[in-house]
Amino acid sequence: MVFGMKEEVENRKMNVKSFRSFLAQRSATTLVVFIALVVIFSLFTRNHVFIGQRNITALGKLFPDLGIIALGVGMLMISGEFDLSVASVLPFTSYIFAQFMLGGYAPFWALLVAIGIGGMLGLLNGIIVVKTNMPSFIVTLATLMFWRGVLFVWSRMMPLNIRPFVERGSLFEQAMNGTVAEFFPIQTVWFIIFSVVLGIILHFHRFGNWIFATGDNRDAARAMGINTNLVKIICFIIVGLLCGLSGGLQTVRLGSFAATQGIGFELRAIAACVVGGVSLRGGIGAMGGIVLGALTIPILDNGLILMRVPVFGITAFIGLATILFVLLNSYVERKLM
Amino acid sequence: MSNENNNSDLLVKMTNIHKWFGRVYAVRGVDFQVRQGETVGLLGDNGAGKSTLIKILCGYHQAEKGDIIFEGKKVRINSPREAQKLGIETVYQDQALAPNLSIARNVFMGREPVKGMGMLDKKLMDEESMKALSNLGLRLDSPDLPVITLSGGGRQGVAIARALHFKAKLVILDEPTVALSVKEVGEVLEFIKQLRKEGISVVFISHNIYHAFSIAERFVVMARGKVMREVTKEEVTLDKLNELVIESAIVDID
Amino acid sequence: MNTANRNYLKKFMLAQSTSILVVLIILFILFAIYSDYRFIRPANIRSLLTFGAEFSLIFLAIGVLMISGEFDLSIGSLLVFSSYIFLKLFQTGLNPFMAFLITLGVGAFLGLLNALITVKGQIPSFVTTLGMMMFWRGFTLLLSGGATESIDFSAHPLFVSSMTGVIGLYFPVQFIWFVVVAVLLGVLLHYHRFGNWIYATGDNREASRAMGINTNHVKIMCFIMVGILCACAATMQLARVSTFTSRAGEGWELRGVAAAVVGGTSLRGGIGNMGGIFLGAMTIATIDNGLVAMRVPYEWSFVVFGLVILFSVLSSMYLEKRRLSG
Ligand SMILES: Nc1ncnc2c1ncn2[C@@H]1O[C@H](COP(=O)(O)OP(=O)(O)OP(=O)(O)O)[C@@H](O)[C@H]1O
Ligand SMILES: [Mg+2]
Repeated sequence: MVFGMKEEVENRKMNVKSFRSFLAQRSATTLVVFIALVVIFSLFTRNHVFIGQRNITALGKLFPDLGIIALGVGMLMISGEFDLSVASVLPFTSYIFAQFMLGGYAPFWALLVAIGIGGMLGLLNGIIVVKTNMPSFIVTLATLMFWRGVLFVWSRMMPLNIRPFVERGSLFEQAMNGTVAEFFPIQTVWFIIFSVVLGIILHFHRFGNWIFATGDNRDAARAMGINTNLVKIICFIIVGLLCGLSGGLQTVRLGSFAATQGIGFELRAIAACVVGGVSLRGGIGAMGGIVLGALTIPILDNGLILMRVPVFGITAFIGLATILFVLLNSYVERKLM
Repeated sequence: MSNENNNSDLLVKMTNIHKWFGRVYAVRGVDFQVRQGETVGLLGDNGAGKSTLIKILCGYHQAEKGDIIFEGKKVRINSPREAQKLGIETVYQDQALAPNLSIARNVFMGREPVKGMGMLDKKLMDEESMKALSNLGLRLDSPDLPVITLSGGGRQGVAIARALHFKAKLVILDEPTVALSVKEVGEVLEFIKQLRKEGISVVFISHNIYHAFSIAERFVVMARGKVMREVTKEEVTLDKLNELVIESAIVDID
Repeated sequence: MNTANRNYLKKFMLAQSTSILVVLIILFILFAIYSDYRFIRPANIRSLLTFGAEFSLIFLAIGVLMISGEFDLSIGSLLVFSSYIFLKLFQTGLNPFMAFLITLGVGAFLGLLNALITVKGQIPSFVTTLGMMMFWRGFTLLLSGGATESIDFSAHPLFVSSMTGVIGLYFPVQFIWFVVVAVLLGVLLHYHRFGNWIYATGDNREASRAMGINTNHVKIMCFIMVGILCACAATMQLARVSTFTSRAGEGWELRGVAAAVVGGTSLRGGIGNMGGIFLGAMTIATIDNGLVAMRVPYEWSFVVFGLVILFSVLSSMYLEKRRLSG
């Protein structure tokens, strides 16, 4: 009987092996989901609008809003921390951007200021998390509320039209909302640039190694002389900076600031990373996966809208999808690795 | 292996135990036994699999393969609770204490005395925990102190007192002398001797061969998840035992 | 030295509860002054006790859950879904007490679901419950179409008075329920064996497991408690306002965490007490009500609660440092 058991174990191992090595490439599950979604939406949207050129172009303009932020959040999560405040840092920096243009600054300088403020809000998150040693999701939940409140009070939730300040066809407008080669949305170009740069940092630079070490085993990393606090703070700052840029892109595209920008991003950014195979415990993840995840969530949004699912349904669906994916990842982590 | 044939006084017998942690093969077909009233020293290098082996015995881990026979009956120990019910008490290497809870609540953690409807009998908890500690020679002022406020020796004392309070047939101590002062080590060793006088079996795990040699009657040496040597105290001297442990650790068996 | 330690610790615990009480009293005075005394009018105090008790009821269980080492950010959504269930059950003509019982069962099930995903899937509970927050809110909106529906309880005076009546000409019955539940949970936490398991699980899960405590079971029970009290609060709220809205409970999840932390509950589990949780819940209710009495615009509440949580996180760090050095 004992012998039989052993054989069974061996058999199971053999069967699972090829499948396992496939799934163990965490991005593989993401790729499967991604392709499945694209196929489903292409087949089931009316007249296949999903893969129509117009929708693809629209997606290319839309998805980097969340996508660019998700790149930073992914790195932060690999370092072992979360940032829920992106959902209010984004509109906050948008408001700064709009206000500075209203105050007579050139759009470029206004954008720089907005990005800088974003970085500072990230720094603040980082410092509080590192110094208090409190769970980052609570700290950033608090700053999420706080900055949203400040924004609501300050802006009185009124939209700000920025079209008069951003000249159509100007270099700035082209750089923020133009198209490259008649077709390619510039937002996607930005997304690609950042994923390449951050990918190189994460996988080929010493700092990337520190990020993984910090998230994997903080005490060991510290014992090896890595300043884990600094690593985390820098990751928080990167998220803040990216929020500033993404806020600028979104504001220029919409032609105005709206207090409702970024609502729901707190979970969507985490969802994108989780779908992309980043571990909730830190230390595991890859830029390729994060990029796929950052594409998947907006595609889910877009496809469901095209399938005429009510907005609430989409909210419910993304909540559910996140949980299911986390469960899948955690299963893969425990059973197959 | 002097009286291998005398099976009637075996308290526990583990045979062919295997344990994997994911890809780590921590215990690789180990046979291990303890007789009634015997004190066994379990020795071996870091990562040899000592803690894993005894955590299987006390229900914390479940082996992938292997049998455990306790008092002549084949048993499956699926949880620490089941081991406790059999009469196996364990002092874990990491002490298994809840730092912010009081001494009394730690001593009775999971097995609180109740007055009915599950309400705690705090008076009994306080008295009994202080009694168990003073039996160990530890005088602490109050059973209400959170264990985080105790010294290393104090905490170890609480962990040991817990194992001793519940009348056990087998007491397993995983590195109980680590982080203790010389005086405290003496007290712990003294107490283990006292257990033996009461006829309780003891498994004593230690890196410190002097501590093990001074109390155990038989030694089991592990390395890389396997049992390498088993000797009785009569068969070896302290130096010889030391040699055996080092040898086992460096000899490549495969 | 040990005696000194103990005295210090006792003093500290006492000081902690006292300090919450002091904060609460100061808040009362400030709100009274800056609201032109609207805040301390009997009618307002009654509405504080009524409205505050509804969500504070859930916060009690949130505190217990946090002691066991987990979070629940989905309470607002569990509440709105339970509300919807009660509404539909009642509309079928079911006796409201029956409907209430079934709703409690549904609440327990929702809590169980959170628990199983967290515990069996080994997933941080804030992610599970953040996902569930979106799911149940979205699902309820989907079912109800976002509409507001009124309910007519006029045929069931007993039900209304047991849910939202007045006792002794003044005290809202919700507040009585709140106190009763606080006492029950307090006894459970501090004098019952299960309470010891909750603390042990939150303080050192591995140790509790090693000592034979079924920590998964402990956590599941705590999640279920939260679910049941969400359903309870949902029904009370429906009975009071006689209207179902799909926005019920929005923003409560953060207030829940804030209440627990203000009350001295550790974000890492294992530390906290019912007295603190009770006072913390009352503090949050007071701030909520006081801001309204001061006619502060609604948006400010975000700022205030953000600050309250940050402040309590800082004090929680301070608390931990003192404990370690104590
Ligand atoms: N929970 C676990 N998960 C994964 N691997 C584990 C776990 N526990 C132990 N191991 C691994 O199993 C092996 C045996 O560990 P074990 O703790 O049993 O050794 P040990 O002999 O007690 O060592 P030490 O003297 O350091 O306590 C080690 O390689 C260890 O890393
Ligand atoms: Mg060990």
